[in-house]
Amino acid sequence: MERREFQKELMALALAEGFSDCEAYYRENRHFEVMVLEGEVSDYENSGLRGVAFRGTYEGRTGYSYTERMEREDIAYLVKSARENAVLLPKEEREKLYAPAKPVGHWEKLNPHLEQLTAEEKVQAAKRMEAAALQEEDAVVSMDYCVLGTDWIETAICNSLGLDVSCRRNMVTAYVCAIAKEGDEVKTGAYFWKGQNWHEFDPAATGKKAAEMAVSHLGAGGVASGRYGVVLEGRVMASFLRVFAPVFFGETVQKGFSLLAGKRGETIAAACVTLRDDPLLETGYVYAPFDSEGVPCRNKAVIEKGVLKTFLYNLKSAEKDGVASTGNGFKAGLTSPVKTAVTNFYLEPGKRSREELLADLGDGLLITDITGLHAGANTVSGDFSLSAEGFLVENGNIGRPVEQITVAGNFYELLRTMEEVGNDLYFAGNGTGAPSVRVREMSVAGE
Amino acid sequence: MLKKSVVENTLTAALETGADFAELYVEETRRNQIGMVNGQVETALGGLDYGAGLRLFFGNRVIYAFTNDTAEENLVRLAKETAATAKGARLYALAEMQKKYCRGINPIALYPNSVEKKKKAQYLAAASAAAFAYDSRISQTRTGFLDVTKDVLVANSLGVWAEEQRVRSRFTVEAVASSASEKQSGHQGPGGSVGFELFRRIDVEEVAREAARTAVTMLSAKACPAGRMPVVIDNGFGGVIFHEACGHGLEATAVARNASVFAGKLGQEIASPLVTAIDDGTIPNGWGSANMDDEGMPTRKNVLIEKGILKTYLIDKMNGRKMGMEPTGSARRENYRFAPTSRMTNTFLAPGASTPEEIIRATSWGLYAKQMGGGSVDPATGSFNFAVLEGYLIRNGQICEPVRGATLIGKGAETLWKIDMVGNNLKRAQGMCGSISGSIPTDVGQPMIRVSEMTVGGRG
Repeated sequence: MERREFQKELMALALAEGFSDCEAYYRENRHFEVMVLEGEVSDYENSGLRGVAFRGTYEGRTGYSYTERMEREDIAYLVKSARENAVLLPKEEREKLYAPAKPVGHWEKLNPHLEQLTAEEKVQAAKRMEAAALQEEDAVVSMDYCVLGTDWIETAICNSLGLDVSCRRNMVTAYVCAIAKEGDEVKTGAYFWKGQNWHEFDPAATGKKAAEMAVSHLGAGGVASGRYGVVLEGRVMASFLRVFAPVFFGETVQKGFSLLAGKRGETIAAACVTLRDDPLLETGYVYAPFDSEGVPCRNKAVIEKGVLKTFLYNLKSAEKDGVASTGNGFKAGLTSPVKTAVTNFYLEPGKRSREELLADLGDGLLITDITGLHAGANTVSGDFSLSAEGFLVENGNIGRPVEQITVAGNFYELLRTMEEVGNDLYFAGNGTGAPSVRVREMSVAGE
Repeated sequence: MLKKSVVENTLTAALETGADFAELYVEETRRNQIGMVNGQVETALGGLDYGAGLRLFFGNRVIYAFTNDTAEENLVRLAKETAATAKGARLYALAEMQKKYCRGINPIALYPNSVEKKKKAQYLAAASAAAFAYDSRISQTRTGFLDVTKDVLVANSLGVWAEEQRVRSRFTVEAVASSASEKQSGHQGPGGSVGFELFRRIDVEEVAREAARTAVTMLSAKACPAGRMPVVIDNGFGGVIFHEACGHGLEATAVARNASVFAGKLGQEIASPLVTAIDDGTIPNGWGSANMDDEGMPTRKNVLIEKGILKTYLIDKMNGRKMGMEPTGSARRENYRFAPTSRMTNTFLAPGASTPEEIIRATSWGLYAKQMGGGSVDPATGSFNFAVLEGYLIRNGQICEPVRGATLIGKGAETLWKIDMVGNNLKRAQGMCGSISGSIPTDVGQPMIRVSEMTVGGRG
């Protein structure tokens, strides 16, 4: 069935079957992806996906269901399944739907040129990335990945309170990971480009950058265990922000899983820390005029000059705290309920360059990569202990590469002991961003 | 799920431009998930995943397309569009499809879709109560139950028509213990390719108390000292070390691209002679078990490493073609959105001769990792890292005080050589493994092992 017709019939049936209000969230994604290996296309993907997630209030509780098949018979399944789920919940588990002041809105951030690109043009761009990576450095022997993808995404939400919003956007994502080898030593380096303006995309430069990063880590050794002053590169700090973002969510605080409970208005970080969430940031990778509940999104400081200004809310957690939703109620997909998520979530850059930060550091470590965040970071306590790579810093200069170390610390402490934030703001593809930061001291395990 | 004529017409259209292999995978999955916080239902979700994936081979080139509109005209159009992006040297005909029957590896006693959701919630509430009752310092619990009923059809141009229904269930519990300044958590997550009878096989309250015990123990733990030391890794989820450090490197998806340290080493000694490693997709009701893989081939037991010698890789059809080797029944995918590739099923280190007591007694100083958390690995370098959820220091052959925040890092190929004791207490544990064909249920497992030296990260 066509999406509007499906949404309309679904809402009509739900209201007829005893739901007091309801919402039909539609999402469609057309995706194309090509992977190149050794100058040939090794994988190729073409897809069209759509589906509807339903939520509504039944006997005072919110029930959810979803379907990826949009036949008329699936409407009855959605309503029945949502009703079964609703009655399991305690009475207070009700998610209010958004009653909009301005109910209708349609946004488009589409570059029509992307829709006209042929498969062959995309394949050629991916091949140029690989060729440039192989050519740039002798030690680069192959690619771990060399992928080019395009997406066309539509989100459209209607509810029984009059909401009718939709957004369409498209984008290109290129990702390359080069493998460098010297003797028995193997290192990888990854780089990506994401955007809408095809003419700004330089495949060769993207490939070269990955190659340089892989090679720069060759010849790495360990360091003695101990406490070191460190500079974390922007991509590392951005990873920390991604993993620990939930400590700033109203719902995490309300459930007792964040140590920031009751600290709004207090200083929780060094004065150099200003943390923003900006869903419409021009230079960001995320574009969200409204969240998954249809609430308009806006730019806000979460931490301003070290002071905790606000938590991030969806409608339900906002109601609990007696505030307005910050427009951060997002679904991870059709199958998930509305939770909280960040958009372009970034640490505001400072004035000085990474080189100046390193000069101030004097002796210590530059950390360029961390792995194991999903296992080695505890979002409840803030503790982390992560495998890391980087470089030794001596007299403010970058020295030999370092590997097989772990850095350990605590996220809350990291915020407090940040000495300076650099001016080299980096955004990860998921929207999280940070410049290089200098941290007083971290515990490092090595030899 | 689809009429034979629809499948035939789709595959015929897919072969039009000279693909030498065409495969259609269709899936209809109903899933139900209940999550509780502190004994109260917080989430109750359910829905229908539905779609078809079409895979074409042109020599060593793979083209994958998927959609959730499976009307005949849409499937045929998608097949034509997809085929048009490549050209083969000659045309291949569609072979007559033979229906395969199921082997019944995973008998189901009680289908989860036939059980009232309220009944499922009762078990979760009981588990939560047991965790709270274990110790007054338990401040929060999260309990959950997930059941999945997945009907799968795989049909291909070489005459395969294979169908099966896969049912799996899993119970999860997290207990958080709090003191004035600290919070620590413990987890457990038993499951299998079983129905609701899972709750007859396990005692949810006992499982919840075990999670609570870890949380409370770690609350009083001091920071783990950092450095290189011997590490004893206990059985069960400890097998994640092998899964991450070696298992991924034995998947053809890494080997065929020469992106694994184990590439080109078949028949060679790659590990201590104490190491025998097995991947077995046929364990009855195993979490990673199925009658067939996602290419419609019967699953089987593959001995990967035998007494330190590399015996085989885990191989799917396309990588087998690239490597000149036969597939091993190891092709898996999360759902129709992913092309299948070689993945682990139930992977474990075989038991050895030492008792756990002997291993501890023989260790004068080191870390005892009783419970492991998750981890990750870079298959190109074999560098791995994973978290120790519950650890203790060993001194003079005795398990001493608990330590927290420990991380184990190393390189898989090196660690395999450093396994110097293997226990006799094999146990498997359930996990979700994420890789290029999505997130799939896999068992990890091992007896207690000792690694003579590892880098341990910690703050102490």
